[in-house]
Amino acid sequence: MAGLRRLLAKLVDLLRPGRAEADLSRELASHLALLEDELLRRGLPAEQARRAARLSLGGVEQVKELHRDERSFVWLDDARRDLRHAVRLLRRDPLFALTAVLSLAIGIGANTTIFSVANALLFRAPAGVADPARLVDIGVGRQGVGFNPGSYPNYLDVRQRATTLDGVYASEMFGAPLGMGSAGNDGRGEVVSSRLVTANYFTVLGAHPAAGRLFAAGDGEQPGAAPVVVLSHRFWKRRFNEDPAIAGRTLRLNGHPFTVAGVAAEGFQGTHVLETDVWLPLGMIAAARPSEASLLANRGSGWLVMGGRLKPDVSVAQAAAELAAIGRALEREFPDQNRGKELRLRESSSIPGASGPVTALLALLMGVVSLVLVIACANVAGVLLARAAARRREIAVRLAIGAGQARLVRQLLTETAVLCGVGGLAGLLLARGLTSLLVSLLPRLPFPIDVSLGLDGRVILFTTGLSLVAALLCGLVPARQASQADVVSALKDDSPGASGRSRLRNAFVVAQVAFSLVLVVATGLFVRALRRAGSTDPGFDPRGVELVSVDPSAAGYGDVTGPLFARELIERVRELPDTESATIARVFPGGFEGIGLGGVTVPGDARASGEAPEWDWNIVEPGYFSTLRIPLVAGRDFGPSDRAGSPPVAIVGEAAARHFWPGENAIGRSLVQFGAGGPASKTATLLVVGVARDVKSSRLVDGLSSSFVYVPLQQRYTSNVMSSMTIAVRTSNGPRMAAEIRRLVASMNPNLPIVTVQTLEDYTALGLVPQHVVASVSGSLGLVGLLLAAIGIYGVTAHGVTRRMREFGIRVALGAKGADILVMVLRQGMSLAGIGCAIGLALAAAVSQVLTGFLFGLPPLDPLAFGGASALFLVTALAACYGPARRAARADPLVALRYE
Amino acid sequence: MPGRESGRVELLQGTLDLIVLRALATMGPQHAYGIAARLEQIAEHPFTLNQGTLYPALVRLEQRGWIKGTWQTTENRREAKYYAITKAGARALGEQTERWRRFAGLVDKLLLNESD
Repeated sequence: MAGLRRLLAKLVDLLRPGRAEADLSRELASHLALLEDELLRRGLPAEQARRAARLSLGGVEQVKELHRDERSFVWLDDARRDLRHAVRLLRRDPLFALTAVLSLAIGIGANTTIFSVANALLFRAPAGVADPARLVDIGVGRQGVGFNPGSYPNYLDVRQRATTLDGVYASEMFGAPLGMGSAGNDGRGEVVSSRLVTANYFTVLGAHPAAGRLFAAGDGEQPGAAPVVVLSHRFWKRRFNEDPAIAGRTLRLNGHPFTVAGVAAEGFQGTHVLETDVWLPLGMIAAARPSEASLLANRGSGWLVMGGRLKPDVSVAQAAAELAAIGRALEREFPDQNRGKELRLRESSSIPGASGPVTALLALLMGVVSLVLVIACANVAGVLLARAAARRREIAVRLAIGAGQARLVRQLLTETAVLCGVGGLAGLLLARGLTSLLVSLLPRLPFPIDVSLGLDGRVILFTTGLSLVAALLCGLVPARQASQADVVSALKDDSPGASGRSRLRNAFVVAQVAFSLVLVVATGLFVRALRRAGSTDPGFDPRGVELVSVDPSAAGYGDVTGPLFARELIERVRELPDTESATIARVFPGGFEGIGLGGVTVPGDARASGEAPEWDWNIVEPGYFSTLRIPLVAGRDFGPSDRAGSPPVAIVGEAAARHFWPGENAIGRSLVQFGAGGPASKTATLLVVGVARDVKSSRLVDGLSSSFVYVPLQQRYTSNVMSSMTIAVRTSNGPRMAAEIRRLVASMNPNLPIVTVQTLEDYTALGLVPQHVVASVSGSLGLVGLLLAAIGIYGVTAHGVTRRMREFGIRVALGAKGADILVMVLRQGMSLAGIGCAIGLALAAAVSQVLTGFLFGLPPLDPLAFGGASALFLVTALAACYGPARRAARADPLVALRYE
Repeated sequence: MPGRESGRVELLQGTLDLIVLRALATMGPQHAYGIAARLEQIAEHPFTLNQGTLYPALVRLEQRGWIKGTWQTTENRREAKYYAITKAGARALGEQTERWRRFAGLVDKLLLNESD
């Protein structure tokens, strides 16, 4: 009780320090007066009485100090005084405060940015999911690498056989955009992102509805059995204004009526980053995306991400072992479709299968931004050292009158802590801007992703910790140095700057140059690698091609009207003044392309229909190959004669041609297609009229080619398959034509929804996202580092010149020419930059060895990147030194000798 | 060292609080100087105490709520802060005295045994 009272009293005192202090002064005065009275009474002379009284009390100030120590939290009180002192000092030198805060803000902001990305992708628990730590992802790998989606029949077997998992669900890897209209309004084009999931999806994840119900066992996977959807909370809010009576309403998705079962809990998006507006039961695939209806029966095509919940007391390793065994069994039982495929199980992550590379990428970025922070700290530390030199006298005086060294260090550290605190705050604000910048740097993704890069508690905690570390990093050395000042010499000799301190400052500048150089070299390497990747021939020319995707089925085009509309549309696009060539195709290379139109083989091959190997299909209008500049190796392009009713034709990729007719001419041969737009037993015979060069597609990065079978749109248009078609325009002189095409489409049919607009380059850039991101981040930060280093070099040189002005004056007086002094100062500044560059190059050489995996075979010691970066730094350093050197060269002996 | 400071009484940590409480309990409300004078009187040696050292003890006791200070006027018409023991203080004095007796008895016993 008494202890608590005392704590409270101390706190009260902390808040109102003046009151107790005044009371104490009064009390001590009265004490002295009483003592004096007594001593006078005993007969001492007045003067002696006063002295004796003071002696007996033991020094008013000491008593006050004792009283204060007892009365309050001393350290807090000290901290408050230090803080006030620090703020006063910083306000006296706003330029220093500003540059220091700015460089720290950049360092801290960059770190916070990368951390919030990592936080969103790797650490944040998925919302609305019960016990996410017990969830796992299951993917398909080959020889221990990869984490690819699996097929539906394989999923069913996994679900049936797995004993270590409490439920196995599956959902599409990438959802699909659907055209939505409400009941009674079939056409109005609005695009929603959909995802097909198994009926147990929400159950296994332990999700709860915000309204209505989620999928239950009844919403099975029987084709067409359950036309129901679950809405995401965000979509419900955005589109239906959180209508509580939403359950039971009918929505038309791609023209097909669906009943809303309910709404998922707020924030629920499954465990992955891809964002979804509506979830559909897997069985509804035929209604939502008729072209892919055959996927349910096909064991060979992977499109489903599987996941499950570990049973209690089962470890990830045990479950992984079981899944691997199931995978081996499936490979034995279905060797044709499962050859070489293995089942892999991992802890659930927001980016299934990609968490390894993404973690590596983020670690790389984290390394980059840590370097920036180190550079910023070195910069601030350097300036602090210079200030410490200037404050030597003040500090010596404080030491002389008895300030403790620890107390002084604490006070100097408070100053840096204030800087870092403000810098951290500014960094947080900067990070908000930087995250949106980073997102905008990404090429436009073909699917919406749900990454909330918000500043949550974890991010703020990280930033706070970082600011503290920064304060220690840049404050401790200067503070220790300053507080160890030799009192006698500092007071005696006024010339600032012991040589040891300048050496330390020089070391900071050297470090800054070295680290910034590493960043710039890394940028150079990535830029060169990207150019090289861009220059490797993908088999088509993505430059100058614009893509506009529309969904004709959402606007009500059927099997007869669709091809007519497509033909008219493309003719009118070709008439636009800037069009060089134009085409329409179902998909384009470079993305996540390849549709399935069933197996294909040569006549006479006896394999059962569902067992024939799948090829990537594409449905194209004439002009596809010329627009994309894909060379036709043999035969002809599709033409006006290939229309509905004429004999079915196809163009095949080189690899496919080699596969079917090794060493022979493919032109004029026939192919048999199974399940052509209908039951798997239905076959069609296609006449091969052309052979096209293979293209490198989404596998641009690893350089694998994919071979397509192309069929003409006019012959193969079904509204099911053409749920999305993309207009591609090669423009003659590079203007963006998207707006013109949009107008054109709207003038032809205002109800036709435009799904996406992007350039083919953006579309194909997806595979190079990591390199782009690292290059832009390290590039911009490298330039910031360069700037900081330049400020550092300038600061050191300018400070040195100021200090030595007298020396220069004497030199001039003794006959040195201005040019001599100029060269001398430049040489000193440049030697710092030179040493920094040398160390930086060595470091960069080491770092580049680590980066080889990202460089597509670029030699890690690329001379251009290394040489260019060094040249850039030396020129910058020269520019930074030149100003102070000029000032030194103009030293006037008279002024200089009067300088002090 | 001890020889040089023979004139001053070194107090054990915490005993000053007990002594001040005791003084206030027997004398009634008293100012700091009065307490100091009383201690010197009991010690039978003027100025044995560095009077300033009383202040930390006073603020400690006041913050604990064992004594309470109020400004009053002395007979000689000087203002002074008079401290009075509170009810909680009286209770604490009882407990502390008891504890001190036990502790001192124990030390006494130990010292006797050791000197045998």
